[in-house]
Amino acid sequence: MRYTRQIALAEIGEKGQEKLQKAKVLVIGAGGLGCPCITYLTEAGIGYLEILDMDTVSITNLNRQFLYNDHDIDSYKAHVAERKLRLMNTEIIIHGHAKKITEENIEETIQDFDIIVDCIDNIQTRKIIYNACLKLNIPLVEAGIEGFYGFVTTIKKGFPCLNCMGYFDSKDKKEIPVLGAVAGIIGSLQALECIKVLLNIEGVLFGKILEYDAKKQEIEIINIPEKNECMMHKE
Amino acid sequence: MLEVRLFATLRENREKIYFFDAQLFNTVYDVYEYLGIQEDEVSTLLINGFHSKPETQIHDGDILALFPPVGGG
Repeated sequence: MRYTRQIALAEIGEKGQEKLQKAKVLVIGAGGLGCPCITYLTEAGIGYLEILDMDTVSITNLNRQFLYNDHDIDSYKAHVAERKLRLMNTEIIIHGHAKKITEENIEETIQDFDIIVDCIDNIQTRKIIYNACLKLNIPLVEAGIEGFYGFVTTIKKGFPCLNCMGYFDSKDKKEIPVLGAVAGIIGSLQALECIKVLLNIEGVLFGKILEYDAKKQEIEIINIPEKNECMMHKE
Repeated sequence: MLEVRLFATLRENREKIYFFDAQLFNTVYDVYEYLGIQEDEVSTLLINGFHSKPETQIHDGDILALFPPVGGG
């Protein structure tokens, strides 16, 4: 059986695996974070997995985005990822779309999903996704990387959020340095958070931020203090 | 004593934690200047676990935590 080794976990079991099979997950971004995230979600048996990314594969992606190779250059990442992930797991439904997220289309894009995983590479689009998830009350797994550092948090209405951290007041940087192994760790943590939310496993990072320092090989989990004036996450 | 904890890219070419004599600094701006941190590099400033502004006065026993925005994917 494909899932025998994870069904053996008390936190998953046959019932948990059925829940994963019935789950609908949307991953936005199929780059450095997205590749490990969608790979592990595929192999875990998420029943319906949709992947959005409007970018095509470029040579500079190949130090970290392991679903792609030289032959995929100039092809849409979402299409290549869909094709390769289908080879990994033939028992689930996977769709990849080369679609741009905008303020106009975000709500209709996410409304039918149980959870959203944000793997994109800029703060401004993150804010669009973030607002819509909180408005529609859909959990969102959020992460970012730069160099040897990364963070993960999971957003849910009612918990202190990234906006409380002043995150969305920041400007995007150009050409952010990224090491593949760091993206791999953080993207894998996103897949893990997603599975934990779907299975209601304790220890989800609601209201907390996990900070990873690859230089010192340290992980710290910090409670996000609520900002009184932040209306984004409030009920 | 003032404890300053830096996170993520703010640790580049710096330590992750500093202990200073609190009397050396008037406000958080002075700490930024001492450590060579630009104000726009910091998205979150916590003092003793609460959101604060860089013009806040430093007191003995304070713990500062500084976070940059990390937006790559």
